[in-house]
Amino acid sequence: MIENIYRPFKVIISEIKQLSENVRLFRLKLDREIDYLPAQFFMLGVWGAGEVPISVASTSGRDPYIEFGIRKVGKVTGALHELKAGEAVWMRGPFGNGFDLKTAHGRDIIFVAGGIGILPLRALINHILMERHFFGRLFLIYGSKRPSEMLFSDEIPLWKEAGIDVILTVDIKDGLWRGYTGVVTEHIDRIKTDFREACSYICGPEVMIENTVKELSLRGMPDHLINISLERRMKCGIGKCGQCYHGIEYICINGPVYTYEDIKKRLALYGA
Amino acid sequence: MIERFILDKNDLSYWLRQIRKNASLIAPVKSLVGDVVFESLEQIHEISLDHPLPPPSVKEFLFPQIETMFEYNGDEIKEIIDEEMRVVVGLRSCDASAIKIIDRFFAGETGSDYDMVHPNRKYKDPYYFSRRQNTVFISMGCNVPGAVCFCYNLGAGPFLDSGFDIQLIDLEDRYLVEADSEKGKGLVRRYDYLFRKVETGDLEDRFEALLSSISKFEKRIDLRETGQKIKNSMPDSFWQWVAERCFECGGCVYVCSLCTCFNIVDYNFSNQSGKRCRIWDTCLFKGFTEMAGRVIPQEKKEQRLKRWWFHKILYYPEQFKTFGCVGCGRCTITCPGHIDIATLSEKIMGWR
Ligand SMILES: Cc1cc2nc3c(=O)[nH]c(=O)nc-3n(C[C@H](O)[C@H](O)[C@H](O)COP(=O)(O)OP(=O)(O)OC[C@H]3O[C@@H](n4cnc5c(N)ncnc54)[C@H](O)[C@@H]3O)c2cc1C
Ligand code: SF4
Ligand code: FES
Repeated sequence: MIENIYRPFKVIISEIKQLSENVRLFRLKLDREIDYLPAQFFMLGVWGAGEVPISVASTSGRDPYIEFGIRKVGKVTGALHELKAGEAVWMRGPFGNGFDLKTAHGRDIIFVAGGIGILPLRALINHILMERHFFGRLFLIYGSKRPSEMLFSDEIPLWKEAGIDVILTVDIKDGLWRGYTGVVTEHIDRIKTDFREACSYICGPEVMIENTVKELSLRGMPDHLINISLERRMKCGIGKCGQCYHGIEYICINGPVYTYEDIKKRLALYGA
Repeated sequence: MIERFILDKNDLSYWLRQIRKNASLIAPVKSLVGDVVFESLEQIHEISLDHPLPPPSVKEFLFPQIETMFEYNGDEIKEIIDEEMRVVVGLRSCDASAIKIIDRFFAGETGSDYDMVHPNRKYKDPYYFSRRQNTVFISMGCNVPGAVCFCYNLGAGPFLDSGFDIQLIDLEDRYLVEADSEKGKGLVRRYDYLFRKVETGDLEDRFEALLSSISKFEKRIDLRETGQKIKNSMPDSFWQWVAERCFECGGCVYVCSLCTCFNIVDYNFSNQSGKRCRIWDTCLFKGFTEMAGRVIPQEKKEQRLKRWWFHKILYYPEQFKTFGCVGCGRCTITCPGHIDIATLSEKIMGWR
């Protein structure tokens, strides 16, 4: 018999944390060893509702559990939000390529997150902090719509302590907000680095990605050092269903991480 | 090595009857309303081999339009794997060529450098291959190509040189039976008393039949040239022109021997039990790539059409070293807007 790669396995939720009004962090107890990379994803499912791709938010080799941050937007994410600690989710994975860290060795790194794009970047940041000595200075620009939608306000101080220069910005501020306002690209010049030598990891809504890439490029960052995690609709996660097909790529297996160089060469190939 | 035999035409039905004792036999059958479709054969004499190509392709016997992947009941999960033995007879060279290509697709083996760039591509689809392992295809060479066919230009017909299970070549009073795969050879050897040795005259007749068939193609389509042209010089206005003619029916994709996109959907029987199914889907439908917040990466109809064309004619060759089309002409029969591969290729070559 051929191994059934569509068959999910059952995992028990040990803890659920409300990160914002519609984002919850699910911590799962694994009964098996699973290695994964930041920006890889799993298909998480509830029988009767379906399966959706969700990036890992925890860090392999550091955390003794696996975590996923899930924003409630529809049918399956809604069903996942109904679950309580002690109940089961069904998952399969990890899928996708994940962030490549080798090209970042010895360089300053700029992380740019928009909205729930912080989830895979959290996995990456915690991974990089584990191997801190390989990298140069670290910067994070993290933007959300409102202060109440900022995730990980309890972890950000730890990142600062570990030496990351953190810039927080919101579109719409409220009375208590003491960070910046405006979109992430407005704050790029607050970063003091040689952009021609630094590298970046970007995750967020597509418009934000587009504008950020443009700004970093303008400042001389080479295309192959700009890393982007893309989002597409995915049903299988293994290059069969075609839902994520774009340019010549099945984003689920060849991506979701691409350098700007790849994007120009492989995804916008021939302009289709 | 291909093994060749001769089967007297009168013995075909006997052979099929024997085969049917161990497997379900699928063949082209004329339905009540006159359409020829692939169906499980109840009466051997109902087989209809002298017909134009049946509009639905044979892919549904490996990758059905809808199939159950799992049944669930609370925490109890049952995999539904179809292991029925099937022998499909009467498909054409283009169909057999298409199966060769989708075998590689579902195995995750492109057979190009693409594999090396992406070592984690090799996921094998268990639903497809459990059927594939238990199915033998007996395809027919075409002595008279249909008016819509252009397989010859794509190396997918009218006869095949290799890569099939069994190929039958009609030599008027007898069939030349060619077995290539082990499964195919087994199906001949088991009934070896029906077959006789091939003589030089038989091979000469095969050659004559092939030449005569090749001379009868009405359509000459060069997808390489079409590819060059859509890559370099077709304006947006052309794709808008195409979009105006597309009804978004998805017919071309459903009949296509090579289109394999699907969706996965859960159907509940009760609040604890149900089934997870996969269903054919198409990149030409607007909802295909829709994401949260109603973001649709390929929103405009012309973008979706362009993607389908680019996939088949430019990206397929890069990944699989072959076009995403075998020239069966099914989309020509099906498309109500006349923007099928053959018709539109001709249009593209004449566009200035
Ligand atoms: C690689 C990858 C990683 C992701 N990581 C996370 C994560 O860490 N946390 C998180 O909250 N979300 C993540 N997402 C997005 C998440 O998969 C979608 O929000 C989810 O699939 C929506 O499913 P639903 O059934 O709840 O919505 P639906 O009921 O299906 O519909 C709601 C909307 O979501 C759209 N949709 C359906 N499938 C997808 C899809 N695969 N991606 C985007 N939109 C879709 C629908 O078309 C519709 O517009 C990720 C997506 C990808 C591709
Ligand atoms: S695109 Fe048209 S001609 Fe080509 S294989 Fe599909 S149905 Fe046949
Ligand atoms: S998610 Fe199915 S092909 Fe990528």
